Amino acid sequence: MTGSPVAQQDVALVDLLDRLLGGGVVIAGDITLSVAGVDLVYVGLRALVTSVATAEEKQLPR
Amino acid sequence: MIELLAITDDATPPEPPLVAVRSGGLSALCAPAEDAAVTADTLWRREAMLEELMEDRDLLPVRFGTRVADEAAAARAVAERRTELEAGLERVRGAVELSLRVHAPEPADAPPPEASSGSAYMHAKATRTQAAARLHEPLAGLARASVVRPAPELLRAAYLIEREAIEPFVARVRELQREHPALSLLCTGPWPPYSFAEDPS
Amino acid sequence: MKDKVLAGPLGRDLDPFASDRHGLGDALTRRVNADPESVERGLAQLVLTIVELLRQLMERQALRRVDGGSLSDEQVERLGRTFMELDRRMTQLRDEFGLTEEDLNLDLGPLGRLL
Repeated sequence: MTGSPVAQQDVALVDLLDRLLGGGVVIAGDITLSVAGVDLVYVGLRALVTSVATAEEKQLPR
Repeated sequence: MIELLAITDDATPPEPPLVAVRSGGLSALCAPAEDAAVTADTLWRREAMLEELMEDRDLLPVRFGTRVADEAAAARAVAERRTELEAGLERVRGAVELSLRVHAPEPADAPPPEASSGSAYMHAKATRTQAAARLHEPLAGLARASVVRPAPELLRAAYLIEREAIEPFVARVRELQREHPALSLLCTGPWPPYSFAEDPS
Repeated sequence: MKDKVLAGPLGRDLDPFASDRHGLGDALTRRVNADPESVERGLAQLVLTIVELLRQLMERQALRRVDGGSLSDEQVERLGRTFMELDRRMTQLRDEFGLTEEDLNLDLGPLGRLL
């Protein structure tokens, strides 16, 4: 494998950070955006994402 | 405060300083929450702990930074999501995660972005999408599950692979690299199943 | 930490895969230390993530229609120009808020990653 050991560690760190930022199961704990108003937005977002994704799959005619 | 690192249904006690907080048939693997700065070293140390745990058991890594007041709170958190956690563990049973990133070099004769026509932009995007699919599809076929993420690279994907099937998967990646010499493929792992811990639906 | 690389581009360097880690350490530190400033910044992040999500969904939809051959050359040209402009604007907005592409792959708790 080419590349110094330092470089390999660097690229693996990118993959690790990618996973730490958005992976893993969500359980209770400190959430940065825990304001009630923002919680409502979360619910709205879920509906939006689901509906758009579903529409995409069904390829609704224009 | 304690930090939740992973969820498992394996009863083997972890090595100190880790503690298993039981809740029904599940355990939350916890460590004392540290206030140390987030650095590459602290992240790798944490990751090493998780991977050592993973060697002996199936687990769901918990979202980074999840902290609760005490063990009782950890047990409550697990109890609240018991059904999803049990389903998650079944989803990843006997499997680990491999990462793939594919980098495509900028064509030497690419026109400067301002000069590009809208059609050229769309066709270039379509070409990229097709090129990514040609790499992703054979690998997805070898995986129990896979996920592709939008990323600066041509392709950034995660694959859920049976522990015994890692070698054939890596061999296929190397084969794809030989078949596409102009691209750069990077496969890393095995990782705990971060990208498959949450219900994909 | 043992070597995580299983397969890499032989004979070529790994530089394209090492990223400028601006912002990533910050994002993780924010996860651990919730503070009022990060809530404010988080709101900008949230808004831009939605915009980026819509941009990507629209672009994917448009690409499917381009592939399907149902659009005239002029329509393809106009779509492309629009998306190029949106792309440019997104980059500008991100820069204004000091956010990276990774920052827009937002952790929304139980919703998981949006993008």
